[in-house]
Amino acid sequence: MKIKLLRWSSLTLRFLSGHLLPILISGLFLLPLFWMLSASLRIPGTPPTRTLEWVPQPLTFGNYVSIFHILPLGRYLLNSAFVTLTGVLLTLLTASLAGFGMSRLGPRARLRLLILSIILQMIPVSALWLARFVFFARLGISNSHWALIAPALMGTSPLFILLFYWTFRRIDPAIFETAQLDGASVIKVWWHIALPLARPALMAVGMLAFFFYWNDFINPLLYLRSQNLYTLPVGLLQLQEMDKTNWPLLMAASVLITLPALAVFATLQRAVLWWDVE
Amino acid sequence: MTSSSRRQALLLLSPYLLGTLLLVILPAGISFALAFTRYNGVTPPVFNGAQNFQYMWREPLFRVALINSVLFITQAVPLRLLGALGLALLLNRARRGIGVYRAAAYLPTVIPDVAYALVWTWILNPLYGPLNFILAALGLPTPAWLTDPAWALRSIVFMSLFQIGEGFVILLAGLRHIPRELYESAQIDGAGRLHQFFHITLPLLSPWLILLSIRDIAVSFQSTFTPAYIMTRGGPYYATFFTPLMIYEEAFNNLRFGTGAALTLIVFAVTLCLTLLAYFAFDDWGLDEN
Repeated sequence: MKIKLLRWSSLTLRFLSGHLLPILISGLFLLPLFWMLSASLRIPGTPPTRTLEWVPQPLTFGNYVSIFHILPLGRYLLNSAFVTLTGVLLTLLTASLAGFGMSRLGPRARLRLLILSIILQMIPVSALWLARFVFFARLGISNSHWALIAPALMGTSPLFILLFYWTFRRIDPAIFETAQLDGASVIKVWWHIALPLARPALMAVGMLAFFFYWNDFINPLLYLRSQNLYTLPVGLLQLQEMDKTNWPLLMAASVLITLPALAVFATLQRAVLWWDVE
Repeated sequence: MTSSSRRQALLLLSPYLLGTLLLVILPAGISFALAFTRYNGVTPPVFNGAQNFQYMWREPLFRVALINSVLFITQAVPLRLLGALGLALLLNRARRGIGVYRAAAYLPTVIPDVAYALVWTWILNPLYGPLNFILAALGLPTPAWLTDPAWALRSIVFMSLFQIGEGFVILLAGLRHIPRELYESAQIDGAGRLHQFFHITLPLLSPWLILLSIRDIAVSFQSTFTPAYIMTRGGPYYATFFTPLMIYEEAFNNLRFGTGAALTLIVFAVTLCLTLLAYFAFDDWGLDEN
């Protein structure tokens, strides 16, 4: 009995030292999301509380319906989905092709590309807004979704090319060479052999690219003029401009835009949190 | 390397290289050229020498924006780096529930920027926001956060400290690349945990820390735009007026593309300087050792 008790207390101690801090930190990092959700369930117009309120009394889900009446959020949701889906697929295509190409270059050319990617990584995008704006206007794509999808042409971020490059570099090049000796074209080797071996990288880049296009606020703000082209982040801005103190509605819209990102994260998080384990 | 396989590799790389040329190199060139012109986006640009830069030099708001941006970067980047390092060290060891902790730490990074700015406007609300309720309950001071010029910039630094998932994941990978034997032999030599951290972990992690800080400097220059635009519009009294917001206002509200481009060039030069500074700061603590 006494021994059992002792073992229990030592286990509790181990649990506290190994888990207490992680649990506290996790709680801290969950707070913004929790407060977003909790504030979205309040009845709009009710007087603000004088003390901290974790769960609003009474609860309502009505805000999630009202926001669709105030703004054409359904339309914006579709626009966001189109831009994100196209952006992610194109990104996976260009980034994996480039990463595969890079892994097949000689060491000198590879180093040069690596340096180029790191320099590109350093350029703040705000340094490119204006010139891209002028350029897109000339091309006639400035008030269209293509202006938002354009970064996918360069694989969205040099980091994504490097992620694929690191993956392909670890694969024995003899696998690719024998396939090519058998007469397969380089594109066939990329599609049939390289890509299936790069599942973790595809998942990680897919997730990060999803966040890039789904979250993108600046590009639609810069390029889109027609309301029927707006994406969800611009919708949130419109909602804020209508009434910046209607927190229940603003938070409901925030939850709406966060949910798909959470769903993608829940599905693919293993690939990012553990991306170099497999 | 035969010339045919080189050609094939270039074929694979061509979309990326073409995209980079069109979306980065060409725009950078256009920016550079426009910085020396007067241009409103409608009538053709007119060459005006260094006038845009002289205008910037005299414009007090430019100095405010530049100082704010540099203040933000010098506070946010080291703190974000420390935060990511702390998370990586804490959540490195495999144990039960580690996946949940890691996912929770990454979660704020998933929230879209506009929603993130909105929820923090609510959290930091000086009268009804949950944060001040908690601080008051603990008997701590309750600043007016975004509405107080002395606290507004700090508030934006503070909220940026929760979105450090990418750095956290990169440093986790870095930690996993450190050979276990190094720690084992250090233990045999009787080295304490602190000693191990400063003589094994930190030096071997430094290439990753450099990569991360370079990336974070560029990202931080950028990431002030959405909070400043959504939460404060640069206020109160220009306390959160950052360079991306100024570029946006000059070019797209005032249609002064020339001065916008000049600002862009200056931003780029400052980013370059800060990046080099970060590089040399890290170089001091032994990048060459591995």
